[in-house]
Amino acid sequence: MLAKILSLSVLTFREGVRDRAIIGIGLFAAVMMSVTLVVISLFMRELSKVAVDINLSAFSLSGLLLTFFLSITLMAKDIDKKTIYCVMSKPLSRSQYIWGKYCGILFIILTAFAVLTVFSSLTIALAKLQYANWFTSFSWMEYYKAVYALFLMFAVLNAMVIFFSSITTSSFITLLFSICTYIAGQTIEEVVIFLKSGAGQAAHISEPISRMLDIIQYVLPNLSVFDLKVQASHAIFISWNYIAWISLYACIYSTILLIAASMIFSKRELA
Amino acid sequence: MIVLKNITKSYTTDFLRKKQKAVNDISLDIQQGEIFGIIGANGAGKSTIIKMIMGFIRPDEGEVFIENKNPVDPQSRLNMGYLPENPYFYNNLTVLELLRFSTAASGVPKSLAEERIASLLKTVDLYSARKQRLKTYSKGMVQRAGICFSLVHDPKIVVLDEPMSGLDPLGRKMVIDLVLDLKARGKTILFCSHILNDVERICDRVAIMDKGHLKRMFSKNDLGAETMEEIFLNTIQEN
Repeated sequence: MLAKILSLSVLTFREGVRDRAIIGIGLFAAVMMSVTLVVISLFMRELSKVAVDINLSAFSLSGLLLTFFLSITLMAKDIDKKTIYCVMSKPLSRSQYIWGKYCGILFIILTAFAVLTVFSSLTIALAKLQYANWFTSFSWMEYYKAVYALFLMFAVLNAMVIFFSSITTSSFITLLFSICTYIAGQTIEEVVIFLKSGAGQAAHISEPISRMLDIIQYVLPNLSVFDLKVQASHAIFISWNYIAWISLYACIYSTILLIAASMIFSKRELA
Repeated sequence: MIVLKNITKSYTTDFLRKKQKAVNDISLDIQQGEIFGIIGANGAGKSTIIKMIMGFIRPDEGEVFIENKNPVDPQSRLNMGYLPENPYFYNNLTVLELLRFSTAASGVPKSLAEERIASLLKTVDLYSARKQRLKTYSKGMVQRAGICFSLVHDPKIVVLDEPMSGLDPLGRKMVIDLVLDLKARGKTILFCSHILNDVERICDRVAIMDKGHLKRMFSKNDLGAETMEEIFLNTIQEN
């Protein structure tokens, strides 16, 4: 069973990494990271914070571009363009197809992040050499923890893409749902905190809406827990416990999504 | 080998979800070692039958068995090869990678797989283009890659949906030779085509379908003085 999943994920990985889009996204991220060296010279203070912010933003943006332009192509267009007929003519179950696709996409994100980590480390190291006085409080460990947390966020978001691809028949609808989930997942925690605060209480939100928000906050992924930019840029220690918890959260959330996607996809007609 | 028992399949056609029968109460029993042809006009239900055999869609009524297994069971496809009509593969892969996936997913040992891949690519004249990406292939080359994909794991049952599509006369001859070679090796072949000459030449038994119904089934020996084309036209025009 694992061999079949692995063979499909290798196929997906190869198809994905040779896509022209990945070169464009990689170049864009590399340029954005290189710009750090020029941009920080324009700042008068907290140069390490600016460098970390720009580099982590490049990770986020390239991860989003990969998810919305490459992952969706790899999964939803498989169904759109009927490439799936060739894959499913092999003795693969529908759930093996779902897991194989997800693992392949995850390998692509992992590879992109590995390359970008090397590149961003180089730019930050150069900036550190250039402006050593401003990097006294910088912590490589916290920076890498923030990069890892971003990777976890994209693992969840791509599981979401797979889930939406299994229930919709169009790659455009998958894209739309995925973007909405990303925005909602990033902001849901802030909305709930606001509503529970004094100002929120004063807004007199109706009971049904309040209940709906309660449900939504548990159904949607809370993507803000993976955003450790502030801690990394200020070199604030991020506990290993926290890293373990968000890893577990990403793992459980993605697994649930993939199981649900497998169940739905098993019933789906590939007409 | 392939048994269809009273299968019916409908599709919803419009916004009001009105159902239209694509296949209506069809029963077939395709024996081991025979080449069974399905012919019919566009929309006759040939591809729907193939999709049910491959497990892509399920019949509304009736049952399908592949070597006594339900097509929903992935194991039913272990000994099957399938060439879809107008195969569409991953553009950025090479045919070599595609065939390696095919053999790995079918559980063919690596050493044997490499041998089979090389031999098949030479047969279909794609060996020199094996490291070229599929997006650089012509339509005929993609079709030949699809034929390799369906045969590389040496399946017992081969389902070919319009295998001659996009092929030049040399390519068509190559496919006919391949199919006859498969038959000589005792494989079961389900062959769908619009090219009646090819069906007449290679099929042992033929089913004529029209608007989802099985109109006639006959063997090569039943042809007599009539050509396949005459039988087909007479059967369709009768209805």
